[in-house]
Amino acid sequence: MGRKTIKYPVYTIALALYLFFIVLPVLYSLWLTVTDGHFIENIKTVGQDSIILLLKSSVLAAVIAIISTFFGIILGFLIYKTSINYRKFFKVIILIPLFISPYILAVAWRDILLLFFDKIENSNSFFAIILVHSTIFIPLSILIIGSALVNVSKNLEESALMISGFKRMFFNILLPLIKPAILSSLVLVFIFSISEFSVPAFFSVRVFTTEIFTQFSAFYNHSLAMLQSSLLIIVCVLLLLSERKYIADSPFLSIGTRGKTTKLYDFKSFNKIAYLILIFSVFIMILLPLLILLYQSFKDGTDDFIEAFQLLIPTFGNSLFLALTGAILTLIFGFIAAYFSEIYRKKLLDSSLLLLFAIPSIVLGIALIKFYNRPVLNTIYSGVGIIIIGYVAKYGFIAAKMLENAIKQIPKSLDEAAKIQGIKFYKRINSITLPLVFPAIFAAFMINFLFCLGDLGTTIMVYPPGTEIMPIKVFTIMANAPESLTSSMVLIVFLFTISIILILFSIFRKIFTAYNVNY
Amino acid sequence: MKLKPINRFIIPIFIFYIFIFAGCKDNSNSVVVYTTVDQVFSEPVLKKFESQTGIKIKAVYDTEETKSTGILNRLIAEKGNPQCDMFWSGDPMRTVVLENKGMLYPYISKSAEGIDEEFKDKDHLWTGFSARARVLIYNKDLLKKEDVPQSIFDLTSEKYKGKVAIANPLFGTTTFYLAALFSIIGDEKAKAYLQDLKNNNVVIATSNGDVKKRVVKGEVFCGLTDTDDAFEAIKDGDNIGMVFLDQQGIGNLIMPNTVSLIKKEKISDNAKKLIDYLLSPETESALSYSCAQMPLHKGVKTAKNIPSPDKIKPMKIDYIETAKKLKEIQNYLKKWVEKQ
Repeated sequence: MGRKTIKYPVYTIALALYLFFIVLPVLYSLWLTVTDGHFIENIKTVGQDSIILLLKSSVLAAVIAIISTFFGIILGFLIYKTSINYRKFFKVIILIPLFISPYILAVAWRDILLLFFDKIENSNSFFAIILVHSTIFIPLSILIIGSALVNVSKNLEESALMISGFKRMFFNILLPLIKPAILSSLVLVFIFSISEFSVPAFFSVRVFTTEIFTQFSAFYNHSLAMLQSSLLIIVCVLLLLSERKYIADSPFLSIGTRGKTTKLYDFKSFNKIAYLILIFSVFIMILLPLLILLYQSFKDGTDDFIEAFQLLIPTFGNSLFLALTGAILTLIFGFIAAYFSEIYRKKLLDSSLLLLFAIPSIVLGIALIKFYNRPVLNTIYSGVGIIIIGYVAKYGFIAAKMLENAIKQIPKSLDEAAKIQGIKFYKRINSITLPLVFPAIFAAFMINFLFCLGDLGTTIMVYPPGTEIMPIKVFTIMANAPESLTSSMVLIVFLFTISIILILFSIFRKIFTAYNVNY
Repeated sequence: MKLKPINRFIIPIFIFYIFIFAGCKDNSNSVVVYTTVDQVFSEPVLKKFESQTGIKIKAVYDTEETKSTGILNRLIAEKGNPQCDMFWSGDPMRTVVLENKGMLYPYISKSAEGIDEEFKDKDHLWTGFSARARVLIYNKDLLKKEDVPQSIFDLTSEKYKGKVAIANPLFGTTTFYLAALFSIIGDEKAKAYLQDLKNNNVVIATSNGDVKKRVVKGEVFCGLTDTDDAFEAIKDGDNIGMVFLDQQGIGNLIMPNTVSLIKKEKISDNAKKLIDYLLSPETESALSYSCAQMPLHKGVKTAKNIPSPDKIKPMKIDYIETAKKLKEIQNYLKKWVEKQ
């Protein structure tokens, strides 16, 4: 009898690691919820009120998703598909809201809104949430849609332009080709928005996440909170599955970019309008809140800024290490999930990533504590390993999602031809797949890096005592610190992050140039 | 430039280095402390202890976002294998929650000898020190001195309609305050009072810090918050005044900090040393300067304008009973907050 070999060792190892380190803790926590003796009582509590609240939150999240994606298409096109000057500058600067904490943006925006309203309540509060969330998530839409736009074949666009005008090509060729990215943007923004807690709480709007938080934090009823979270998870998973079904059914005409260049449009007279749109967007999304923060930081001199810098110095190394490690690991798991899901139809890892993504941060944090906080696993729990596990659990799906869309656009014939030639698996990945999905890898890496760097919800629950991490430090100092100190800390976080982004951009640029990849 | 291949070694290498990093912690001569006291105030005290004793402090602080509840949830979730040696709470309510869950370990500190018994648990599971008070802050530009409310019952008056802020009563010290109020005046009167407050369009802020900001910015005339927030606003030069409420009536709520040992297999001697240090007059004095807290030892040197708790008429409450009351009224408070 011959020895059995594992058919897909990389996939199997990744899946086993993911199931053990990440899925098992969540299942264990769910098991505790079901067996804690209050399950029936809690089921009765989750009644009509919860459903109405979930619907209200869904409507709010849907509005935000539509607004973010709409502007994501416009701004993504202007930044990624036009030859407008300084577009690379816009590409970087537009990411800024992604790495400012939603709570801090909410504080800045309230100060701005109070210039126009006497006070912020009821309808104003809804408007404020939509505004703040849209500001945060438009960059996410731009990244997702932008990376799809640069992957569209130049040949298809040029052929269409030969027989029709730009408008028709845009609506009949370009938009249908990036439909999966548009849908991904809608779904991801919806999920991010419906799971976000701090902004609705800040504007005193009762939504589903604030309800879950109340059960956790005021009533210490972990089981009921887990149960309520399950409803949220079901909505998110259903949405993601429908999106997947739709994408699986939709035709893909687009081709990878190797050896080709992305078509860039030069509208000449329209360029001025394009500039105006971009500058106005940057002003609203970035400059306005930043100006408020700058004013608050320096209105009493530079002392608080210096103090803020001294407070944050110990956090830089840790945060960078954790965010880079988190981004690389989420990318590895995301790539393996996406590749095997698309090429070999192995979907379990991908589905597990999806399930974990939909879990609210605080629930994930509690699940990780309950599973890992035991003597035998102390090495993980009392070290930074637990934070990395949290990152992979929370953000692995984003990498997988973005890479799936990119891998989908690679003609299967390329891989099959190489396989027929006897080229081995790793060589095929290294020489065919990776170069073709570089823009998506870059986008996924940057997004995950930013999310890991700014993660608060899960990190606050599990960070080891004595470990200094940037977002935690900003938030813990925020309580009762003078406004100028808090704003200074946010500005320093911003400067630190933008410096790292620029360094990463220059590293990736070298890689892209070496592989002749558009970016 | 060539990319290095994604090969079978990458994943094990990363997992290896995470675990290496995870294993690089130094547990010798350290103490793990979880605190709900704002980091700006608690960290300097802990750092001073560190420099004086050489014992490394490994702290977990609470945040504005999960004020006084994130850490408690974490402590409860960690109950089976506690990581924390010592809990320093900004108020007794959170400590009593842990006490009721059987998570505390008794300790009698010599440093607590000068502190009144009313601020100590009868089973020595926790000890109170440096206290804050619940106060009303007001914007001097918007309220004349004669118009400043002197009792919480004044806040339902028509002239303050929509101009009074309190923090969400489901969280933080506001919960404690309302539980105390229910204990003192009875459920019926307290509910009627809260209803009147709601009818008067009280603004529910996210936290005490948010109340302070709203008063400073003039969004509201006045708001209920704690002395540390109030003094911070005054120190920053904001045009803010502060009033100890109900000095002719039910009295003002006094909230001591508490320290307690967490029950675990091996009780840390370093944690006991830290408790001794925190309960010392030296720490109380430091906290009076940094965040206007009132020492519970007699004769401690304090910052200017810090009243002695003896000079304030306190609300007469039993902390354990108040914690019980809190549990009873939570559902009511939730409904009250949600009611439009």
